[in-house]
Order: sequence, then C-alpha cells, then structure tokens
Amino acid sequence: MSRRVLIDLLCLATFALLPLLASWLHEPFLVSLFTRLAIYGMAAASLDLLIGYGAMISFGHAAFFGLGGYVVGVIGFHTSQAMPLWGWEGSSSALIVWPLSLLVCALFALVVGYLSLRTSGVQFIMITLAFGQMLYFVLSSLSLYGGDDGILLNERNTLPGLDLENPVQFYYLCLGLLVAWLLFCRRLVNSRFGYVLRGLKQSERRSISLGLHPLRYRLSAFVIAGVGGGLAGILWANYAMFVSPDMGAWHKSGELMAMVILGGVGTLIGPVLGAAVYLGLEQVLSLWTEHWLLIFGPLLLVVVLFGKKGLYGLLLSPWPRWRKPPVPNAPPAIANSEVRS
Amino acid sequence: MLLLEQILNGLQYSALLFLLASGLTLIFGIMGVINLAHGAFYMVGAFCAAYTASLSGSFWLAGLAAVIGSALYGLLIETSIMRRLYARDHLDQVLATLAVVFFTNELITVLFGRSPPAMPTPEWYGTFVEVLPGLMYPVSRLLFIAAGALVAIAMWLLINHTRLGMLIRAGADDHEMVGALGVNIARLYTLVFVFGCVLCGLAGFMAAPLLSVEIGMGEKVLITTFVVIVVGGVGSVRGALAGALLIGMVDGLGRAYIPQLLDQLLPAEVSGTLSGGLISASAYIVMAVVLLVRPRGLLPARA
Amino acid sequence: MIPQLSIQDLEKTFGAVKATNGASFNIAPGELHAIIGPNGAGKSTLISQIAGEIRPDKGRIFLNGQDITDVPAHQRPRLGLARAFQVSQLYPEFTLLENVAIAIAAREGQTFGMWKPLGSDSRLLGPAADYLHRVGLAARGQALVSELSHGERRQLEIALALAQEASVLLLDEPMAGMGAEESARMTQLLLELKGRYAILLVEHDMDAVFALADRITVLVYGQTILTGSVEQIRNDPQVRAAYLGEEHA
Repeated sequence: MSRRVLIDLLCLATFALLPLLASWLHEPFLVSLFTRLAIYGMAAASLDLLIGYGAMISFGHAAFFGLGGYVVGVIGFHTSQAMPLWGWEGSSSALIVWPLSLLVCALFALVVGYLSLRTSGVQFIMITLAFGQMLYFVLSSLSLYGGDDGILLNERNTLPGLDLENPVQFYYLCLGLLVAWLLFCRRLVNSRFGYVLRGLKQSERRSISLGLHPLRYRLSAFVIAGVGGGLAGILWANYAMFVSPDMGAWHKSGELMAMVILGGVGTLIGPVLGAAVYLGLEQVLSLWTEHWLLIFGPLLLVVVLFGKKGLYGLLLSPWPRWRKPPVPNAPPAIANSEVRS
Repeated sequence: MLLLEQILNGLQYSALLFLLASGLTLIFGIMGVINLAHGAFYMVGAFCAAYTASLSGSFWLAGLAAVIGSALYGLLIETSIMRRLYARDHLDQVLATLAVVFFTNELITVLFGRSPPAMPTPEWYGTFVEVLPGLMYPVSRLLFIAAGALVAIAMWLLINHTRLGMLIRAGADDHEMVGALGVNIARLYTLVFVFGCVLCGLAGFMAAPLLSVEIGMGEKVLITTFVVIVVGGVGSVRGALAGALLIGMVDGLGRAYIPQLLDQLLPAEVSGTLSGGLISASAYIVMAVVLLVRPRGLLPARA
Repeated sequence: MIPQLSIQDLEKTFGAVKATNGASFNIAPGELHAIIGPNGAGKSTLISQIAGEIRPDKGRIFLNGQDITDVPAHQRPRLGLARAFQVSQLYPEFTLLENVAIAIAAREGQTFGMWKPLGSDSRLLGPAADYLHRVGLAARGQALVSELSHGERRQLEIALALAQEASVLLLDEPMAGMGAEESARMTQLLLELKGRYAILLVEHDMDAVFALADRITVLVYGQTILTGSVEQIRNDPQVRAAYLGEEHA
C-alpha cells in the first residue's frame, strides 16, 4: 500500500469514526466542527479543480457557495411563509430543492465562466472577483430576504430515510457527499477530459495544435467546480440553518484559496486537510485570543512563502525515494503514475 | 444642479480611487505583484491621521503622520515580505498579501481599538463655498478633488520628465531592460512600493475626516481600486486616471439616476430593492463590460 | 492536380515591419517542400499563419483545395494539418504515452470522457505505443517528458504530429539545437515519412535540407523569391548571394 493511500484512508477513518470519539469524549461540538470541515473541504476541493488542474485562479468561488445556499434559503423562506414563489408553493424536500439549487449554480457558472474565460492572468482573477462581488451586492440588496442580515431557516430540508435534524446523521450525509465528490474529482482529473484540462495548463499552444478548443474544456471544468461549490453551499445552509450575503463575499473566496494552498494545490484531498487546518486553527486560536488573526496572518504567510507543496505534499515528502531524478544512461525511469497524478 | 453636484461627488470619489490606483498599478506593472495589502496602507494612514489629530489637534501634522506612518509600514512590509513575492505566481501573491491584510487589521485593532477617536478638523474645513451661482459645495470635498488633481499632475511630470520616471516607464515595459541599464532593481522596487504607500497615506489623510475610519476600510476600497486598474489597463498610470474617473463618475451619477431610472421601468417595490444593489454593483458591471470589449483594459501600458 | 497546401500572396505587417511580404508556394501531395532563408526572413511567422495562430493581413491559404484563411487554429487539425513546434510544445508533466494518447483522443473527438482513466485506456495506449515506435521512442513510453533529452523531445513532437493522422505536416526546424548524431537520426526519420505526407519543412541545417527536400522555396525579407529543385537552388547565384554566401562566409 502506498503512503498516499495510507494517508487517504487515515483521513477517511478519522472522519468516519469521529462521532464515536465525540460521544466518548462527551464533546458533541466536535461533530458540528467536523461537519463544517466536510462542507468547507468540499468547497475547497472544487476550487482546487480550477486552480490546481485547470490553472484558472478564480477569486470568486465563494459566489457559488453563497448562491447554492441562497437558493435553499429562498425556497425555505417561501415554503415556511406560505408565500408562493412564481406560483410554486415551495418544497422542503432535498430531492427537489437541492437539484434545483445545483442547476441554478451551474447556469450561473456557465455565464460567469463564459465571460471570464475571455480573459486570462490577472484579468481573470479580477473578473471572477467582480462577478462574485456583483452577486454579493445583489444578495445584500434583497430586502425581502433580509438584505445584509440574510435569512434564518426554520428547518432543514428533508431526505427520505435520513433525519437531517439529527447532527450525527447530517454529519454522515456531508461526509458521504464529500467522499463521493472527491472520488468523482479523482476520476475526472485522470479521465480523458482531465488530461486535456491538465494539458491546457502545461501548453495551450500544443493543445490548440492538436485541435482542442481551450474554452470548451475550461468552461466545463468551471461549471463542474461551480456545482461543487454550490453543493457545499446547500449543505452549509442546512447546517447553519442560516444564509447571508457574507457566504459569497470576497474574503470567503480568499479563505477558500487559502485552504487550497495550505493543503496543497492540485491534490484534491489536500484542500480538505487545508480546510480542516484553517478552521481548526481558527477554532483553537480564537479560544485563546480574540486577536487570533494576529497569529494566523503570519502563519499563513510562512506557509505561502516557505511551504511550496502544502500540507499534503509535506505528509508525502519524507519518503523521497520514488522522486529521485533518473540516472543518466540508466534504463528509463519507471514513473510511478500514482504519485504524480 | 443635482447633475453638477453629483459630478463633483463623483470627482471626489475618483480622486480617492486615483490616489490608491496609481500606486497599485505601478506596483503591479513594475514588480508584477498582485498586492491585496495596498488598502491596508490606506487604513494605516487614516488611523495615523485621526490619532495624531486627536492628540495634537493639528490638522497638517496629522497629514504628515499619515504619510510617514504609511511609508514606514510600507518599507517594513516591502523589505520583509513583498520582495520575496515578486518572482512568485499570482496565487502565492494573493494569499501572502491577504495574510498581510489579516495581520494589519488585527495589529491596528490592538494598537488603536476598533475605531479611533473622531478626527478634529479646523473650522475652515467644515465650511462651504459657492462653486457656481446657487451651488454650495463643502471645502473638505474640494480639497480632496484638488489633492487628486495635484497628484495626477505631479505623477505626469514625474513619469515623463525625470530619470526615475524613465526607469518606471522602462520597468513597466520590460523588466530585463531596467536591469540592463545597470540600475539597482531591488532599490527601485522598494522605492516604487514605498511611493505607492505614500499615496495611500495621503488618501488615508484626506479620507479620515470625511469617511468612517474603521477596520476593513482598506479592503472595501481596495476591491474597487483593483476594478479601476483593470478597467484602465494594468500597469498604466494614464489608465488608472481614466479608470478612476470612469468608476467615480459611474458611482456618483449612478447614485443619483439609477433609482429614478428603475422607478420608471419597474414597479416600486422591486425597483427600491434592486437599485441599492445595482449602485453597489455598478463598478463591477462596468469592469465586466470593459473587459469583454477590451480584455487588456482601456489604456494598457504596452501597446 | 490540386496542391495539398497552397499559399497565395500572404502578407503580414507588425508595426513598421513587414514580416511576410508576398509569400506564395504550393505543396503537392507527398512532396517534401523545404523553406530556407536567413534569420529574420519570416519563416516562423509564415508557419504561424498557416497554423492559424496569426491571421494574415492579405492573401489566402488553401488546404486540400479548401480556403482555410479564416478557419480558427483549433479547427485546422481536423481538416488535415499537423504541426511540430520549433521550441518544443509538449506536456512535460505527462508521460510520452499520455502525450500521444491525448493527441489520438483529440483526433477522434473523444475528449469529454470524465470517468474512464486515460492511463489504463488500451484503446488509446495501444496506438500511442505504435506512434512512439515509429519515431524510435518505443522504450521511453513510461518516462515523463520532463526527463527527455532535447533530441527525444523533437522525436516526440514528430510522434504527436503523426498521431494526428494529418495529410500535411508543418515541421518547424526539427533539427534545431541537435548534435550531429541526433540530426542524422532525425533525417533518417523524415526520410521514412517522405512520400506519405505533404511536408513543409523549415530548417537551417542545409545538409539535411538538400538530403531531404523535393523542392525548396527561398524566403528573404518575408518574400518568396524562388522555388526550385535542390539542384536549381544549390546553383542559383541569387540564392548564394542572399543566403548561402552569408552562411559560409
């Protein structure tokens, strides 16, 4: 078993057994914390799909998080107020509300991605930021839905066979969706589509000369990542039973980027670890001092300046045997494809 | 009259944006670094000004304190952090400077508290003058506009008529060329960065009595400043001026006319809700449109 | 007979520089046609216009009789155009097999599969190994491109062009930066391809050009001044003055 698989399984086991540990320690708040980790992990992993595999540095990823949450919030608001929304009396069933929300996120990502991908470099970073801010201000101006204050929800969505109001069941749902999302992303980046996407990052000219149209692949990835961000937002709305424009604000996008970097760009699981460390540090440091950012800022700085490969890279790196450069004139190196991908 | 007043308000906002954007665009154009911390220096300037004014009671001393405070903090950050970022990719730059923002916000909170004492101003500062028959306009805002205009002229002279300006132009066009001229690049970079911070300090001083001095004031205006430099063309001071004027005007006129326009187009309850959001989002909408038509901005540094 | 590639009166100006200033030539099916010219003659600009990266100001480009002047670069490969770059444009983080597999998937238009791993897709890897074999890289299939020598990268460039199963190959200085031995191996490889494709070869190595070309076109200051057989070009006084003389001075 490779080191990487071992680490992945260890992470999975920790997450899976956490509720047992929490009840053993009589610390139910751990379940709540880890639910947050799973949700942010999903958002960060979907951003990693863009940054790490598509070389698209989106500074507006929280927009999808916010939008996904808001669709849940708005439908919940209309349903509980018995106030039909365009003639529809609403629903609290996750099987109806969630796909609807994901569809909205996908359409939004399609439009934002199509427009943003006409630019690249700094301009791309800035235009994604601009679209995120547009959404933020539009959400803030919706006085029916609380404006800046957002919407408080009365209940979580319902899912047949599960009681989402039960924290442990809700946690396992989030964990299950996170694992499914990571598995899907892993398949994706190793599929034909994933290779084309990663190839575009390495040489766009080569890709075009092979007859590949960059926009089609980047836009598809943008939409997929937007759906991932939206799903995280849906879960967050159900977890916190509260949505507000802050979910889509630019500093939330910055936080997601920080999680990706902390955990390791282009590793998918790394960003989940990054989210865990980010939120964990926030939790621990803010218990200790209200000025926790005074410590967290320099810490983040050190990681960015000196920790090139992120946490996940760090976990893999003490065993460098398989990454030795090939000896000249030796038989061709047998590349360990699992380590690279 | 409303139109003229809104134009002046727009100009005042343009002046603030230009003070911040001209430095930021040079920092990006020459060092190639995305500096999210630029707004932090503006906040530092505003806090220094307000604090000094409340201690000493001197308006102009407050200005001096703002500029010096921002410049010193800029020098510290440049030499300890920024210079390690120039060669890094944009992702690292965004995150590292975000970390500087986090840190600075908390540092200011610890040093000065969440908001400093209100800044005392001399009597003449609060008066109005008649700029046109029937139009009274506050001196404070006129001073802001004048500062913006003076800096614009000074920058034009600096860039077109001095050796430093020549280096800056060369640096924005071609990094290697400046090195080939035998210039100490590290010193030039420090100089440009601190210069940008001085302009931030000036902006902070001008804004301190007018706008609310608070933690996070830097980020709010910073995002709009980025919009300005992207609209104008990254790395170009002329572009920063054009962008600042465009965004400032759109904001000033938008505040006056968007609600009226929407009232005519839409039912009252919808338009009231939407116009607030539309005004706030207008700068971003302008930027999206400009980027779609001219992906490199209105007046890019390199032709 | 319709030429496989036809360039007619191409012109392209950058600022004050006329990079291409009236370039015309035809390449017949199966012909290996070399373009020679001194540095700065506009050879790379010409290739970029044929590939579609740069749009000409004037003139037309025909591929198999079809006017492709206004066809975007990413659609030209489907019409039968493949290209090897002067400065290698490869996927350095992928293995050789993976590089070729992407080219095959792109040619087949099957690139939106999101589930099946490319790395174990025998429908791609089998043919990919064949193409690597044809350019002499069979043993290197599992190596990363970043581990390849300069010459091997050049061979892989050719393999990618072959994998596109195009009718016309644009080869931009395939021998550039190669040692004598590598150069000879590349010449041998191109000899094997000769006759099966219409090949446009831009090359500085005169020995290779004279050994390979069916016809040669001379490009000076963006203008095609002469097209002829190897013998005609070798003995033309104008060419000697403009190009060969300068080289051997």
